[in-house]
Amino acid sequence: MVLNPQNEELRELTVGREREDGSFEAGAAINQTSLWRDAARRFAHNRAALVAMFAFLLMLAYVVIVPFVVPYDPNAVNFDIAYVNPTWTHPFGTDEFGRDLFLRTALGGRISIGIGFAGTVAIMVVGILYGAISGFVGGWLDNAMMRFLDALYGLPYLPFAIITLAIFGTVNFWTMVIALTIASWFTTARVMRGQIITLKENDYVRAARAVGARWHRVLFRHLLPNTLGVVLVFVFLELPGVVLGEAFLSFLGLGINPPQSSWGSLAQDGYTQYLSHPYIIVIPSVAIAWLILSAFFIADGLRDALDPRTESAA
Amino acid sequence: MALLEVDDLRTYFTSRRGDVKAVDGISLAVERGKTLGIVGESGCGKSVTALSIMGLLAPNARVVSGSVRFEGRDLTELSDRELEDIRGRQIAMIFQDPMTSLNPTLTIGLQLTETMRRHLDMSRDEARKRAIELLEEVHIPNARARLDDYPHRYSGGMRQRVMIAMALSCSPKLLIADEPTTALDVTVQAGILDLLEELRDEHEMSMIIITHDMGVVAESADDIAVMYAGQIVEQTNAEELFDHPEHPYTEALLGALPQVEDENVRQGRLTAIPGRPPDLVDLPDACRFAPRCPYASRNDSCTAKMPELRELRPGHLVRTAHPASERQGAPVPAAAP
Amino acid sequence: MLKFVVRRVLWTIPIILLVIFMTFWMMREIKGSPFRKSERAVPAAVLANLNRKFGLDKPWYVQYGKYVKDVATLDLGPSLVLRNQDVNDIVKEHFPVSAQLGGLAMLLAILVGIPIGIISALRANKLTDYIAMLFANLGFAIPSFLVATLLIYEFAAQLRWFPTNGWDTASSKVLPVIALSLGPMTYFARIVRGQMLETLQQDYVRTAKAKGLRWKRVVVVHVLRNSLIPAVTAAGPLLGFLVTGSFIIENIFAIPGIGRYYVISVSGRDYSTVMGITVLLAILVIVANMIVDILYGFLDPRTRDART
Repeated sequence: MVLNPQNEELRELTVGREREDGSFEAGAAINQTSLWRDAARRFAHNRAALVAMFAFLLMLAYVVIVPFVVPYDPNAVNFDIAYVNPTWTHPFGTDEFGRDLFLRTALGGRISIGIGFAGTVAIMVVGILYGAISGFVGGWLDNAMMRFLDALYGLPYLPFAIITLAIFGTVNFWTMVIALTIASWFTTARVMRGQIITLKENDYVRAARAVGARWHRVLFRHLLPNTLGVVLVFVFLELPGVVLGEAFLSFLGLGINPPQSSWGSLAQDGYTQYLSHPYIIVIPSVAIAWLILSAFFIADGLRDALDPRTESAA
Repeated sequence: MALLEVDDLRTYFTSRRGDVKAVDGISLAVERGKTLGIVGESGCGKSVTALSIMGLLAPNARVVSGSVRFEGRDLTELSDRELEDIRGRQIAMIFQDPMTSLNPTLTIGLQLTETMRRHLDMSRDEARKRAIELLEEVHIPNARARLDDYPHRYSGGMRQRVMIAMALSCSPKLLIADEPTTALDVTVQAGILDLLEELRDEHEMSMIIITHDMGVVAESADDIAVMYAGQIVEQTNAEELFDHPEHPYTEALLGALPQVEDENVRQGRLTAIPGRPPDLVDLPDACRFAPRCPYASRNDSCTAKMPELRELRPGHLVRTAHPASERQGAPVPAAAP
Repeated sequence: MLKFVVRRVLWTIPIILLVIFMTFWMMREIKGSPFRKSERAVPAAVLANLNRKFGLDKPWYVQYGKYVKDVATLDLGPSLVLRNQDVNDIVKEHFPVSAQLGGLAMLLAILVGIPIGIISALRANKLTDYIAMLFANLGFAIPSFLVATLLIYEFAAQLRWFPTNGWDTASSKVLPVIALSLGPMTYFARIVRGQMLETLQQDYVRTAKAKGLRWKRVVVVHVLRNSLIPAVTAAGPLLGFLVTGSFIIENIFAIPGIGRYYVISVSGRDYSTVMGITVLLAILVIVANMIVDILYGFLDPRTRDART
């Protein structure tokens, strides 16, 4: 098939799939849906992915909305209500200063998820640029760039994140983002390069080149748009890593500092008093796990949805 | 009694949209020393039939009803362990793609000998000696030296020869060859077919050859069953089928015999007849070939009711309302979608 | 094959040089000299003296060259903060603890994680599989600091089976090893399960079944082998995991390992120690990756051939 599936008018010609057992799904030839609508349909049929999506959006809603509606001051100290166990007025209880944890966890989530998303975007931008250049240009440059990636592959990111923070000499939202990105973009770059190289060999790209399409047209119109699916999957694969990295750094006391708080620093706070009040560390940790799990299952569902071969696996 | 008797076999796959009726009530018999050819497009259920016989169906497939009698024993009722004793020993099978059918991380020798050591109570040395003989029998040059090679050192045709040697190693009574030449280069296809025929005579085996290519069964098969959408649409001996085909589908298959080697042909799609086979989940109670049949008109009985598989002549079964010998006039031109 | 091994080993040298250089360069970028950390100013003359003593007044490439030479001779230089202590001494004192912790955790992860993955794949989509994968997913998602804390809370504080911290008696090692192994364990379980499921679908497994081999032999000879080879490759990046995890676990259990010392050194701006440990960990990972690569080459006959 010499057609670019991204090309709206030609897209419908590429459907028609064979099922796992070898029988042909005749229905596919009749309702000619687009690639993306097809993927959306498959995603909507995946129960685990839908639950994960719901859980993910629920967490986002909690983090965004709760600070507007909870009638407490996140920083007001009131020792009269210190260490209140979870109740209706304080669903997550209060900490040693009588601060409401339902509110503080939401605020911490804003920082954690914010860093998570910003870091993921940074990873994607760096990874896509690096991978696309390497894969598209090819030749010795590709070779050198991949050798460089090989060299860095598998390095533990924590020490390098810590050093990066030390270079900045100050810890805030953006230095955290940079520190967590600096040693985390390798996988994305590698996968993007692989994608670009595979796509480059596709007949429609060859056809485009054969008729003399300029390189930027080939890259931006034929290659990059077709990597969108993989990019989407990787957004949800990288997000957990960044959130967890932030949590680790803050837990070690090297990340977000008071008066700001993140899930990591809340956990660190809870850790110092886990013997008397274990719920304080449990709440932010569960929030982290919640986010990681939902992102992970969304990525899983997206991957299945975007890869027609896996359809009949269920 | 025939060696293998398949009676009203139904094998369904579970899918989200409902049961996929991959094999929907077929009956076959393979006589001792004879070759049965099963012919049809990809997806018609011919491979699933073979896997049902072997008990090698995927987890999402199941035999719903019917029986597979091998020397009088119903294979569908055997336990896993009993089936394991029959597979490789009594019934052997070779598959379409020799490139992926051999384990890439084990030597050819090990893969050859493990079958014999499993079934024949041979020592390692005996099995190795026999393995060399077998490789020579399938015309692998320098067999002794090549025994310890890994599959990636073998070409596609040679790997299929190894698969054949493996299948024959325990002298099975029945060999099922599922598209044995489809994945191979045209230049080696004939060699593999000749080899199969030669070995069948030598070992006095029965054989089932499954293919989408009438040319493959033309020379080697004694009987031929043509399958379409999970059913047998025509079944008779080879000579009769080639001389007097009755079903329009068989005619199309025969008419399409000299095909250009392209992607569709390789994947077993029949390009000579327009249209596609029906959706096997949602089957109408009509002739399954009717939408593609050049002889079926809109208000024909066969578009409302499934034709029975009837014995048109002694030993010649056909499932159509429009067999060649009962037809008058030209095909209905507008019937094909 | 020998050529491949030699090439692979030689290739690690420029990688190590590159990583040392990057670390070195990053350390130079850190603002603020270690000798200026306290509020009271150090006299200029003393500062110059100290800088000269540690070679900080030389041009960067001289410093880099000297550092590489020192690393090559296994000398990580003096600590900038602890008087009369070399980074070597610090490593010698703390690294064995971390190595033992990491080694035991890895062992536990392999011994438990791989069987879980195998059983789970063989019982795919059955109850056993669901339970195993629930465990694997939770183990992957729940941060190790929560796991460690809960383990201490339950088994040390409440039941008093084990001490809450330290690294001396055998019983003090139980909880940290479990806490650290959980991440790699679930990682192994998921990788092995995925690989097994993929292998079970391969044509050659169908061939093995068609030959009438006993199911046990099909699994052990044809499925396991081909599934575990990719799992070997997973062990390389796992070391990075383990390093990160040990930072957290050592801090929680107050284990005198390299991870805990690293955090202390960063806080104390003992940059030569930070750099020394970073370089050490990086070299460790690079060498582990090399070993995994070579091992993989030996295990898979296709690459073994392609690389001769």
